[in-house]
Amino acid sequence: MMKLSLKRKIIRIIGLSFTVLSFLMIFTPILVILVLSINASTKGYSWEGFTLKWYLELFQKDVMREPIMNTLVIAFASTIIATVLGTMFAIGINALEKKKRIQMMVINNVPVVNPDIVTGISLMIVFSLLSFTLGYYTVLIAHVFFSIPYVVLSIMPRLKKLDPNLYEAGLDLGCSRISGVFRVILPNISTGIISGALMAFTMSIDDFIITYFTSGAEYMNVSTWLYATLSRGRSFTPAAYAYNIIIFAITIAIILFVNLKRDRKEKTV
Amino acid sequence: MGKKLIIMKNITKRFGDNLVLDDFNLYINENEFITLLGPSGCGKTTCLRILGGFETADEGTVEFDSKIINNLEPNQREINTCFQKYALFPHLNVFDNIAFGLKIKKLDKATIHTRVMDILKMVKLTGFEHRAISTLSGGQQQRVAIARALINRPKVLLLDEPLAALDLKLRQEMQYELKEMQRELGITFVYVTHDQEEALTMSDTIVVMDHGKILQIGTPEDIYNEPNSRFVANFIGESNIIPGKMKEDYLVEFFNKEFECVDKGFKKDEAVDVIIRPEDIDFVPPSKAKIVGTVDSLIFRGVHYEINVMIEGKEITIHTTKYRKIGDKVGLSVEPNNIHIIKHIKTCVD
Amino acid sequence: MRRLRPYAVPYLLWMGLFILIPTIILIILGFTNLELYNIGVFDITLVNFSIFVQDQVVNALWNSLSYSFVTTLICFVIGYPVAYYLSTLSEKKRKILLAMMIVPLWSNMLLRIIAWEKIFTPTSIIADIFGISLDLLGTPTGVLIGMIAMYLPFMIFPIFSVLEKMDYKLIEAAKDLGASDLQTFVKVTFPLSSGGVVSGVIMTMLPAMTSFVLPARIGLGKINLIGNIIESKFMKEVLGSSGASINQGAIISLLLMVFSVISFVLITRVDKEGETLI
Repeated sequence: MMKLSLKRKIIRIIGLSFTVLSFLMIFTPILVILVLSINASTKGYSWEGFTLKWYLELFQKDVMREPIMNTLVIAFASTIIATVLGTMFAIGINALEKKKRIQMMVINNVPVVNPDIVTGISLMIVFSLLSFTLGYYTVLIAHVFFSIPYVVLSIMPRLKKLDPNLYEAGLDLGCSRISGVFRVILPNISTGIISGALMAFTMSIDDFIITYFTSGAEYMNVSTWLYATLSRGRSFTPAAYAYNIIIFAITIAIILFVNLKRDRKEKTV
Repeated sequence: MGKKLIIMKNITKRFGDNLVLDDFNLYINENEFITLLGPSGCGKTTCLRILGGFETADEGTVEFDSKIINNLEPNQREINTCFQKYALFPHLNVFDNIAFGLKIKKLDKATIHTRVMDILKMVKLTGFEHRAISTLSGGQQQRVAIARALINRPKVLLLDEPLAALDLKLRQEMQYELKEMQRELGITFVYVTHDQEEALTMSDTIVVMDHGKILQIGTPEDIYNEPNSRFVANFIGESNIIPGKMKEDYLVEFFNKEFECVDKGFKKDEAVDVIIRPEDIDFVPPSKAKIVGTVDSLIFRGVHYEINVMIEGKEITIHTTKYRKIGDKVGLSVEPNNIHIIKHIKTCVD
Repeated sequence: MRRLRPYAVPYLLWMGLFILIPTIILIILGFTNLELYNIGVFDITLVNFSIFVQDQVVNALWNSLSYSFVTTLICFVIGYPVAYYLSTLSEKKRKILLAMMIVPLWSNMLLRIIAWEKIFTPTSIIADIFGISLDLLGTPTGVLIGMIAMYLPFMIFPIFSVLEKMDYKLIEAAKDLGASDLQTFVKVTFPLSSGGVVSGVIMTMLPAMTSFVLPARIGLGKINLIGNIIESKFMKEVLGSSGASINQGAIISLLLMVFSVISFVLITRVDKEGETLI
């Protein structure tokens, strides 16, 4: 068995080369963004030497301050709200009898499967029906809306693994209905909650389409600001690339940190 | 036996169209070890969950200490539960699992510590207080679950198939220990199981249930020796159930022979079922026997042989220490007080 | 647990508000002349369907179907072997490679499209640094490459997650029963991974069909998809420009929803609780 047959070797080589090709396709744009963020040229058509000035500009000039602030505020706020609500809903759904639970999960997955453009239009219609002015609050509600299903999806497997009597054991030993949730259920699904929150955050910070349809003409996040700038035929400052690289690096750092911590925790248990 | 601690009156419970408890009536005495025994789906766990406060009855009342407790939350009842598969908190260690109830009551640290240590000693887990739950064996987890419930000093402990996950040897050990604990602590135990041996070994009172109804209540001896129905006879131990006819009081006919018995009150020539336990049948020489048959099969069971004897096309099971070969002609005899007569119920199996 | 059920109730109301109500309104808008910003009396009409005889719309529909089909097909042909290959690696390698595949998704989608725009320009920075000069802006090839790169991970993830969870004993059992490698794959491995394939196909095809920034930027506006039409019908009205019609937009959105519903039915058949979706 040590020697692979020729046929298997060929299959392995195909798998390997397709994998390399995939990584190439997925990483090329990231590399280009990285190069553009450290290129001295403003237009970005040729290499004019290494610079970090776009990174500095990000903190010094006001060009992008508003869209960046909007993006971050929405990302943090929607993550917190979606995580709290999503956790609550997931606990409720898990407690349902099987048939109803599956029905609720099907409903939960509608926004996940629906193309963003359909979700965006749907939200826009509801907001106009309620006569909400498109802006900060509508974008916040929209982001909460599309994040919750992902929070629910990441918590559900954890909940399913719990002994159904666990919560009742808590009540039996003196917990009230609410404190039972906090003392017994939440500590046992915390890893699911954290990964759900991370997912909500990364989805919110990069969203374009849904924000585009629910933000109106005035309120912009980084994505819609970029699109608006390009649509007017203008070019934007390479500081945008620098912003992207920084967010990118921070996200990786957070995920690495969470995963390492989880690994260590799992090892000690 | 003390006074009536719990009275369940006319309890009915449905899950959808499924009638789980059907006009269920039961009282439980103080300091009693009472076992609800029945096949899965008979409503015994639901009955326990209604006592614990995890389900509410659709109809009927639950009285505890002369007060109606139907609408009390589980945390307001002086009842604790030892759950099926234990339901220990995976995020807490042994100490914190056991201390859980006391911490909710906000007792001071020193008291909690002493009480946890005392109860650990009682369940023979001293030294395990810092262990994670996942590192414990099934038997140890079982003990933690019992300790976690008992530390709250409940008046009643509910146990839902607590030994089902343990292997045979451990199960027998725990049966003994549970009985000891109950005697020493003087707490009422309500025990749910489908294992008749467990029920017979530990209980003061056994409640045999099927399809949401109580079939028979009695001491283990009553239930075993005087089953009141085909179902109970079959469920508690093995039984030979033979169709017969009541000739007069204290005289029954089966296998076309007449036998003395201890039952009365049937109509003349009423069709009845005759129940005889396999260990109550003796071999006698065929010449001296009323019933004669041929040995059909034989299995060695350790303490005894299980021998099936064919009599007029019907198979009778006998537990005996006497060896007989397959094909041997044997005579059988039964003492009158080992012949139990119950009303014949028509079943499709006949 | 029973007493935690009420926690799910507000979610049902919330989903009803944001899914059911807009769907009903889209239907009303599509089949009437009602104005969204001026709700009043309206007539039932089929006049909005006239949009389907406009060349621009017919083209966009055709483009949506053909581009998303080709993208999905190529993503599947590349993605399945990749998912399979990844699932055969050791746990450590698998984790690292999978993480590496997720990481680029955290980069802004618009900037990634702009990056491809730069790559496909003959006088781009890529040409300057690497000497590879591509001239693919405004071409179907350019749009397709962009789409494949964008949506490939969504094909790989669900297939991988199913293959990873597959019980290896089943493969051993198949071989034990005399199946060759190929037979094992055709009769055991592939059928067992079909749930992941369905999820992967849908998670690739739907976004590809509805993308509008990518064709607008890389296609230089020459290649329009259904998303571009919806954008022009809805957003231009919101932003106040001519040629817009929410009613016509609604009809096209409803058409998209039909695709969504079909996809949804397929997904819930293979994966009731959406475990392959993340």
